[in-house]
Order: sequence, then structure tokens, then C-alpha cells
Amino acid sequence: MRFQDAAQDARSVVYAGIQADPLVGRCAVLLADANPAERVLARAVMNGETIEPDHWRAMFPTLFGSGATDDATVLARSEAILQASLAVADRGEQVRSQVRGALVEELTAQLLMRRSVPGAVKRERRILFDGVPAEIHPYDVTVEAAPAAEAYDCKWGARGINADVLHQLDDARAHASDEDERLTVALVVFDARRSCEVRLARQSAPHGATGLVTIESLDSLALPAR
Amino acid sequence: MAGETFQELIDRALDAYAELAELGETVEDEWSYVNDLADAWRARFDHVVEHRGHAPAPDEASEATDRAIDEIGRIEDPHRAIDWLSTFPQVVLIAMGERP
Repeated sequence: MRFQDAAQDARSVVYAGIQADPLVGRCAVLLADANPAERVLARAVMNGETIEPDHWRAMFPTLFGSGATDDATVLARSEAILQASLAVADRGEQVRSQVRGALVEELTAQLLMRRSVPGAVKRERRILFDGVPAEIHPYDVTVEAAPAAEAYDCKWGARGINADVLHQLDDARAHASDEDERLTVALVVFDARRSCEVRLARQSAPHGATGLVTIESLDSLALPAR
Repeated sequence: MAGETFQELIDRALDAYAELAELGETVEDEWSYVNDLADAWRARFDHVVEHRGHAPAPDEASEATDRAIDEIGRIEDPHRAIDWLSTFPQVVLIAMGERP
């Protein structure tokens, strides 16, 4: 099993520009330290129709209302997440969709870097196995370190879970096993576990050995791999 | 709506949610996913009603729910409606002090 940078094509060049957008990095930094309600706030605002800040503050009283924490650091972070999310929402529909996808990847990478050796977390990588044709689509995020490598596919919402991605992840895990290597594979979805489980229940593609990290469990990415 | 119970708040939310699901159902390939998803979240709301439906809801939770209902009422794109079939319940549950 070996890893390789994905080939550059027109799509990847455009997407690299999205990934490099400072707004993506700013959102990811904020959301890496966010609490569950703040992450749902970001999801709602970036999916939203309205870009009126007070509308969203009123919708999240546990963050901005009388019951909110009196911890100034948390309050400032909630407000920063709101403003950054509004900046994403203010983009055109196509751009914001790309930004949201890139954000989940960047957030995943940042959380994984908290427990990985420097340089081990990589983006847009292909995984090659002897005698197996390479997948066309690269893996969004990989952790390339012994004793077990990891590969993640990142989705903004539960609806992004589909047969193709489940097959790709499970195939990679199985091919690694054929080579007596360990490859942990998982989906990272910036959506509720309940919604993801509904989506997964409808899939016949193999996913029993594929991990699922959801909006509630993102912090687990920063914990030592099992 | 100030002075309501959690049951009343949830009833209003579920009425709006049903309309959102109707919009999402217009994506024919996702019809059964939309219905399974809506059923799963309705079950979560039912659980809240069972445990504290008669308790008074904080005014801020009612206001938050009004805002969330207003937000989904603006949606015209059925694909975005499907996104919100997952997001809306999370927002309302958090406003009620519940975990999604």
C-alpha cells in the first residue's frame, strides 16, 4: 500500500483555490474548538436563506440569549462563528457549496493533526495497491503513519453518503488487509448522527467496517486512534 | 409564541416540518429518504413530548422556534429543503435545551 498525490486536473486546480480561501481556514480554526451548539449554528447559517445576524442570534438562545454562558471567550467564539458562517452564506450558491465541502475537509485535517505526528496528515491523496487499478477520486484526508494508516471522506451533509463513497472506502480497507496492512477508513459528516444513520440504513454498499464521525463526535478525531 | 408548553412548541415546529418534508419529497429520487428522515426526527420530538411536553417552554425557546420556522418557510429549493430536514430539528432541539 502506498500513497500518492492526486493528479492535477482542471477540477482539482479550481478546488485547490477554494481550499486555500482564507475563509475556509478561519471557519475550520473556529469550529475545531467549537461546542456542539456552535457547530449546529455554523451548519444552519451556512445552509440558510437569511444573512441577518439578529435572526440567527434569536434562533440560538443557548449561545446568545439569557441562558448563554458568561464566559467571554466562549461568547466571542460564538459570535466569530456566526460572522464567519454569514460570510460563507453570503457567497453565491455554487461557491458556498464548495466552501462548505472544503471546510469539512480542513476541519477534519486540523482535528487529526492534534494527535498525529507532524506531516502525517495529508489532503487529496490516492492510495495504491499492487495489481489494483487506482481509484479516480482521491481521499479527502489521510493519516499516513504506522502502525495503521487512515483514510477519510468528508461530507457536509448526510445526503452526501452514497454507494460510491462507501465502496471506495471499504475497497481500500480490504485491499490494505490483503497486503497485511491496516487501513482505518471513516466518513466524516458535518451533520447529525441520526440523519446519517437514516441515510446509511438505505445503503446496500458495504459499510460495516467504515467508521462514522458526525457533528456530535468530531472531537473524537483529535483523540488517539484505536 | 410566549407562554406555551413544550408540546405546543413542538406541535408548531412539526406542522412547519411537514411542509418542509412535502417540498423535499418533490425530489423524486429522495422520496423515501425524505420520509424516513422525517420519521426519525419526529420520533425524537415525540420523546421530548413524552418526557416534558406539559412543562412550560422558555420564551426564548419559543422565539427561537418561530425564527427557525420562518427560516424554513423561505426555502423554495427542494434540495435545500432536504438539508433543512436534518438541520431544523437540531436547531429546535438545541433551543429547547435538548441534545439533538
